Amino acid sequence: MKNLMKYEFRKTLFTKLMVLGLTAMAQIAFLIGLYGDNERVLAAGVVLLTLLAFGGITVIGLASVVILHRDMNTKQSYMLFMTPNSSYKILGAKMLENGLSILLCGAFFFALGALDITLLFGRQGLLNELWNTLREMLQTIDSRITLDYPTMLALTANILATWISTVSCAYLGVVISTALFSGRRWSGFVSFLIILALLWLTGFIQLKGTAPIEAVRTVFLVDAAIAMGLSAVMYLVTVQIMERKLSV
Amino acid sequence: MLESRNIVKKFLNKTAVDGISVKLSPGRVYAMLGPNGSGKTTWMKMAAGLIKPTSGEMLYEGTPVGIESRKHITYMSTEPYFYTWMTAGDAGRYYADFFEDFHMDSYLSLLERMELRPEMKTRSLSSGMMAKMKIAVTLARDARVYLLDEPFNGIDLLARDEIRQTILERAGEDKTMMLSSHLVEEMEAIADTALFIKDGRLAEEADLEALRTERGLSMADRYREIYGHTEVRA
Repeated sequence: MKNLMKYEFRKTLFTKLMVLGLTAMAQIAFLIGLYGDNERVLAAGVVLLTLLAFGGITVIGLASVVILHRDMNTKQSYMLFMTPNSSYKILGAKMLENGLSILLCGAFFFALGALDITLLFGRQGLLNELWNTLREMLQTIDSRITLDYPTMLALTANILATWISTVSCAYLGVVISTALFSGRRWSGFVSFLIILALLWLTGFIQLKGTAPIEAVRTVFLVDAAIAMGLSAVMYLVTVQIMERKLSV
Repeated sequence: MLESRNIVKKFLNKTAVDGISVKLSPGRVYAMLGPNGSGKTTWMKMAAGLIKPTSGEMLYEGTPVGIESRKHITYMSTEPYFYTWMTAGDAGRYYADFFEDFHMDSYLSLLERMELRPEMKTRSLSSGMMAKMKIAVTLARDARVYLLDEPFNGIDLLARDEIRQTILERAGEDKTMMLSSHLVEEMEAIADTALFIKDGRLAEEADLEALRTERGLSMADRYREIYGHTEVRA
């Protein structure tokens, strides 16, 4: 398992280095803007960092889905499936590596965001402006959201867990496409429909599961727990299909 | 050691392998022969556990091939399959990480013998160099069964000699070698048993020594008889 995870990490290394490099450039712009009293550069830095925080996590998830597709539909599949490892381990390593990468990436951007907000405290006016914009943005999503660190942490956990469950739905769609419909002309379209149906279903379950809860922070955390549970179910279904039907 | 029992593989409307039953013994080198699309590669992939049969069984030591058999069966595909970021050295380390029977020192010496260097990027290797690297990494395993799909494809005469020699050195009493190739004459010098595959079926399993002494035929002669229309006189 350790070796499988090592090579999964290696396969996604380029994507991660790209995200890290772009983040470093955006952070430099942010610092130059902040300490050089240049509002335009500062604003560019803030916008870029915000985009990268969401974009980076999205790209890391999507890259893992593309790699899974390549690992099943090209000759590179032999590298994985000729080793003495079960589908449980092969897919488990992929999901664990990707889940950890998303969580670490999220934790990294949360910490970086906290650091940058703290730095902004030294600049009166700038912070208030940014803080108000952020509060307005969040309250358009849900009026119950308050802007404090515990709520932000719960929201971050919720976004990451939901994204992991979305990636799990995509994994299942890719495996269904390869193992059950391989070679058929409409396999890609059917897989896309299956992924959409799974996303709707998981969203529905999460909504129903959190409906009776009032406290917004609890809603975020319960929602995240349901998303992780659904990811586990998706993993088990995907592995069963791989074990019984997958030919590479 | 390795046995297929009435094994069938269908892809959509095409039957690639149609009920092949064969039992391979240790200490023998088998040549799997047949024209393109006859089912050789599909049979090998089922033996390697890469594709699942539609019906029938593929057994290693009496149990269906799977995770356990992959520890003892090594398969070399005819197409390149290494990750594009890998060097020849990375490929060796990958095998060492996953296969207990892989010997890095043997791999490095095979690379040297094939005039390859560990730092060479796999994506920039020519087809001949890639074929030699695949052979090196496959034969550096001390496996029980070697499945080599078209090992001489795209390789010049001198490299073919080198590969043939390496394969013969690796063959042993406890090992089963199975090679597929279009180069029938090339296989004559290596194999002791020929499996002629036609339209997904086993047309004939022939002991080459018996074929020569009892019927006065070479493997190539028998190949022409089975697949062509030429009558060969003994």
